[in-house]
Amino acid sequence: MPQIAKKQRLKNILLILGVIGPGLVTATADNDASGIATYAMVGAMFGYKMLWGLFLITISLAVIQEMAARMGVVTGKGLSDLIREHFGVKMTFFAMITLLIANLTTTIGEFAGIAASLEIFGISKYISVPLTALFVWYIINKGSYKKTEKFFLALMVIYVSYVISGFLAKPDWKEVLKNTFVPSFSFNSTFILIFIAMIGTTITPWMQFYLQSSVVDKGVDVKNLKYQKWDVFLGAFWTDFIAFFIIVATAATLHKHGIVIETAEDAAKALQPLAGKYASALFAIGLFGASLLGAHILPLSTAYAVTEAFGFENGLNKKMKEAPVFYGLILLFIIIGAGVILFPNIPLIKLMIIAQEINGILLPIILIYMLKLTNDKEIMGEYVNSRTFNIIAWITVVFIIILTLILLIEPFFGV
Amino acid sequence: MANVTSFYLSRVIGNKVYSEDKKVLGKLLDLIVDAKNIRPKVIAAKVKSGKDVQIVDFSFFIIYKEKGQYVIETRNLKPIDVQREDTIMLVKHILDKQIVDMNGRKVVRVNDIRLAVLSTGVYVIAVDIGLEGLLRRLGLAKPLKKVLKPLGKSIPSRLILWDDVEPLASPRLDLKLSTTYSKLSTLHPSDLADIIEELDKKTQAYVFSTLDEEKAADVLEELDVEAQRNVLESLPVEKAADLLEKMPADEVADILDEIKEERAEELLNEMEKEASEEVKELMEYPENTVGSIMTTDFIAFKTHFTVEQTIEELRRLKPEPDEIYYLYVVDNEERLCGVVSLRDLVISEPQTPLYEIMSRNVVYVKDMDNVNSLVEIISKYSLLAVPVVDDNKRLIGVVIINDIVYELLKVRKKLV
Repeated sequence: MPQIAKKQRLKNILLILGVIGPGLVTATADNDASGIATYAMVGAMFGYKMLWGLFLITISLAVIQEMAARMGVVTGKGLSDLIREHFGVKMTFFAMITLLIANLTTTIGEFAGIAASLEIFGISKYISVPLTALFVWYIINKGSYKKTEKFFLALMVIYVSYVISGFLAKPDWKEVLKNTFVPSFSFNSTFILIFIAMIGTTITPWMQFYLQSSVVDKGVDVKNLKYQKWDVFLGAFWTDFIAFFIIVATAATLHKHGIVIETAEDAAKALQPLAGKYASALFAIGLFGASLLGAHILPLSTAYAVTEAFGFENGLNKKMKEAPVFYGLILLFIIIGAGVILFPNIPLIKLMIIAQEINGILLPIILIYMLKLTNDKEIMGEYVNSRTFNIIAWITVVFIIILTLILLIEPFFGV
Repeated sequence: MANVTSFYLSRVIGNKVYSEDKKVLGKLLDLIVDAKNIRPKVIAAKVKSGKDVQIVDFSFFIIYKEKGQYVIETRNLKPIDVQREDTIMLVKHILDKQIVDMNGRKVVRVNDIRLAVLSTGVYVIAVDIGLEGLLRRLGLAKPLKKVLKPLGKSIPSRLILWDDVEPLASPRLDLKLSTTYSKLSTLHPSDLADIIEELDKKTQAYVFSTLDEEKAADVLEELDVEAQRNVLESLPVEKAADLLEKMPADEVADILDEIKEERAEELLNEMEKEASEEVKELMEYPENTVGSIMTTDFIAFKTHFTVEQTIEELRRLKPEPDEIYYLYVVDNEERLCGVVSLRDLVISEPQTPLYEIMSRNVVYVKDMDNVNSLVEIISKYSLLAVPVVDDNKRLIGVVIINDIVYELLKVRKKLV
């Protein structure tokens, strides 16, 4: 008997390894340039005070990503396909406009990350940004994105250094623990905006589309749904594990000394306990990898989502003439993304955070579409959302909407 | 009040349904057509009145235009039963969904549906897959046209006649058609493969499973690796194995190399022993060796065969065209000793034995040779096929020029 049990266990492990990937890759890409900037800002401005938020967001993230992955596995279709087929043209148009705005701001944020990281090495943004824009366009057109992806992902492993730095900075662990589980809240717009940015960078609209199509591409069988679930959960945990330590490290260094983050150089200081004078370089390399990955993923996944939804030709195996809308969108995103950064004196870090605030505010719209789809028996059959999942996802939606509303009325009441 | 001769589905769906005395009876949700006809006729309507949704007889309905809007009027809402088989719900099954455009041989998305009003009823005539359809759905087509008209420009509209449309029934859409894919199966296997590749994995497997065996085997050969993998992993084992038996062993070996090992084992076990042995042998050859791309379906004759016997044998075997480029001649130990062409056979006396007419200097390659050497040989001697021998010079396979071209393309794709 033990022999059989062992065999079964081995088989399970193999099955898990077989489906693992989409969730973990998406999660790693989730800690993009704007993500790093936002978490660093959270730690620098509010110390440990928002850790409880991150803890709750992790649960939402896991639940929402699982919904996207499950939709992919059960229907074999991408999110924008499903939106189009079940909501018609008008609602699809609305969803796509939302996605376009969210993704465009994120793309700008990625190019801001490229500029900020290379500025640490003394490279002017007027050189770095146009060159990377050309590079991104070249890589995408050559269709070799899949190969380069691994390289960018590898660069992002650098963020593990935040975990070490977080320990070396000797944070007040009691404080950390308390703040992770006991919520505290300030009713001022800076706090709320940064909080929304934190949600917006952790659970992004683009991730839902990207993850679902990765799962579809992988062709995971419905039988292996439970293993897919673990891939996604592991990914959610991994994203926020890093995020947690970025916040702790910045809180224990920058916040303690009252340093405000204005440039990437400032944010890099959180890595000093580990890397000393090399902190800036270490930070810059990681940020560069993260930004570059995002600068590829966002134009590409937006172009796929929009063309799929409206039935335009798409795919990198098509020629530019055959799929003008597809390539046009990619080009537009790269040009605008890079172009905005070239304005003189544009505040890079702030730009990254604003991108995430917009993402956070727009997120509920995409989530509502997803909730409708994952609760539709005709689409999901027996795999519709469980009650717990619905409750968690709806709380997330309502919570963000309330935060946004407070933000809107706050100036009138001066709370 | 103006008579309507044709209209777009999007202009009537969601409109109110009125009684003859202009009372609101409900809202039109969907139109249901009889798919058995070449021109599908609207037979029923899905109407929502209050909270109830019912399927009602369409023969009492009239549609006319008043002040630029379509008005739907009916004498009464008489519920009818429509059978599920061979009826299509236009909104649920076609609108916004993917269909196959048989002329363009492409998978496209339906933006709108055009219907015609005749004295005998309302019929589906075409689907709109163009930009105009999208804009119409957004309520932007008319205003945009007004703006563009003075500039002498128009919005491109693309309609496909219903005759050239194949709806993509799938279990998910709950659409059952007895004529499923009758149009699709008329396509050339490689066109059909291109279409199947464009579909999502579930529909892919479904469409594939509706093809008859001969067609399915031809299409499977033409599919790209990803689609092959998907199809073979989603079909029932027995069915997949039957298909593989119908294919040349070298193709099967290529495919099985790409799919999960477990599944490949399963399929090989299910296949007839003779066929699977052959495949297994081929699969053992390392990549880039001649053995990995050769086919074992070749014809060889013994040296002592007469021309008459040979021709009779050929009549019996009815080989594929690419198997009779060259006829190889072997001795009793299966060793390659010559080659004859069809021309040689035709011009010789019936009783001549093959060893008298065969050409003895045959160009051949060894199974463990590198594929690159093959390319050189084929181009140097302008051959259509090259025989493959093992270390004892026993004839074990043939490489046909098609397979080499494919191999070269694969290498080029990898480099890009």
